[in-house]
Amino acid sequence: MLVSIRKMQLPIHIILIAFLLMIFVPVLEMVNISFKSDTQFDHNPWGVEAPFQTENYVAVWPMISGYLLNTVIYAVSIALGTVFLACISAFVFARFDFPGRDFLYLMVISLLMVPPAVTLIPQFVLVRNLGLLGTRWAMILPMVAGGQVFGIFLLKAFFEGLPEELFEAARVDGADSIRCFFYIGLPLSKPIIGTLVVINILGTWNNIIWPRVVLSDDGLFPLTVGLMQFRQLFYTVWGPLMAGYVIASIPLIVLFALASRLFVQGLTSGALKV
Amino acid sequence: MASRYCYLALLPMFVFLIVFSYYPPVTALWRSFFDWNGAQAIFMGFSNYLELFQDKIFLRAVGNIAKLSLFRILAINIMSLLVAELLFNLKNDRARRFYQVAFLIPMVVPTIVSLFLWQFIYDGQFGLLNALLKALGLESLQHAWLGESTTALKALMFVGFPWIVGTNTLIYLAGLQGLSTSVIESAILEGCNIFQRFWKIDLPMILGQVRLLLILSLISEVQSYETQFVLTNGGPGTATMVPGLHMYQVAFTYGRLGYACAIGMVIFAITLILTWVNMRFIRPNVDA
Repeated sequence: MLVSIRKMQLPIHIILIAFLLMIFVPVLEMVNISFKSDTQFDHNPWGVEAPFQTENYVAVWPMISGYLLNTVIYAVSIALGTVFLACISAFVFARFDFPGRDFLYLMVISLLMVPPAVTLIPQFVLVRNLGLLGTRWAMILPMVAGGQVFGIFLLKAFFEGLPEELFEAARVDGADSIRCFFYIGLPLSKPIIGTLVVINILGTWNNIIWPRVVLSDDGLFPLTVGLMQFRQLFYTVWGPLMAGYVIASIPLIVLFALASRLFVQGLTSGALKV
Repeated sequence: MASRYCYLALLPMFVFLIVFSYYPPVTALWRSFFDWNGAQAIFMGFSNYLELFQDKIFLRAVGNIAKLSLFRILAINIMSLLVAELLFNLKNDRARRFYQVAFLIPMVVPTIVSLFLWQFIYDGQFGLLNALLKALGLESLQHAWLGESTTALKALMFVGFPWIVGTNTLIYLAGLQGLSTSVIESAILEGCNIFQRFWKIDLPMILGQVRLLLILSLISEVQSYETQFVLTNGGPGTATMVPGLHMYQVAFTYGRLGYACAIGMVIFAITLILTWVNMRFIRPNVDA
């Protein structure tokens, strides 16, 4: 029996590598083409070929950098607001007992059922009536409100799992609830908070519809909307186009490189147990 | 800590939720009974909902999303589970960790960029797919994939090919790793082949994960319209129209916000019903 599983190892590797190739070839071609001049693309669109043109990057950077900065501003503000509010609420729900706690928690969690399809239009009218249309607040405030629901769901389960003895010991030593939260709760929750931050930033980075609905000023556009205009400008001029796509992807790659260990840890432990 | 401090700590969150999360869906339900342009509203009873049954674009959109999401949900879950099984049967732990991370990396390509890359793959003149067909001597099969009404919907089904979602794979793998090796070994000794083992042992053990991921992919596929929004705008004609995009256009192109709210409520209702069906028919026998 052992022999049969050993025999299977090579085919398994081959299939997995074939899948990875299918996934990564378009991405690698994006990087490859981003270094090609127009004539190079016409002669040899797919192969790797020297000289590598960095002009494409130089040409598109001024056009993309503003969108990139906006996306970073949105992503960071939304992530900070969400994590701040979600941590406090999740901690209160998880570690304190007060009348109506379970009911209030259920009220919060039931919002996970309400899909964006239902809220898109009334939320647009709300933002307009509040006079926020066309401002950065229109991007940030509704996303913080929506993001904290999932955050509370994720963090509460984790905070509940922390051993009560730790908090007991701190209280005996004279720590109040706020200190318990900052000196015990938070430091132990780094992987799960890191996971929440990564998921939240990905959400902002990939938000296509909402900014298109609430923003109209080119100077405030995030990458998603900005790239759609950029694409129309450079359509069929593939080198600069691909360079723009690469620039838009780099920050997330850096984020993933920094946080992947936390992320895999956070996903496989804790709240996602079925 | 006294209860009132607890309520005080929860107050900022609830203020946010009341304004931005509770108020909008209530408005959506209420306004779906109105002819509403965002300012003036005239009560119409159920006429918005009745109009949906005669709205040819909406009916086409429902048909499209049914085909599209059925195909994609199955493809995504079968392929992710297949990769999880392959990883599970890998004997080398370091290789397994390498593959795990490798399959997660596509997550960091922004959705908008990967959609544009698919547009590039499908491009009639310069696209990767047509170039591949040409290299294989199959020029006759070339198409302007997204521009022809016969191929556009099929092309959207294949966006994301080979449909492996890294997080799904991770969750399936975690489920498989909960299996005891002695059960598998005795099954092999009994002469179980790979397919029997999968149906009789592996699959029943991870039904919980299957159910969760089916529901999650169902919710996201039935409601999503970003792909159409970026790649086809529902066209050519209505060949790739889906309910979410129709809602968007009715609201922001034609200013019929009340009717759009009704479409939103119907999408919500369909999602709820499908989720319920899923919960009803896939029942994990072990609560692990």
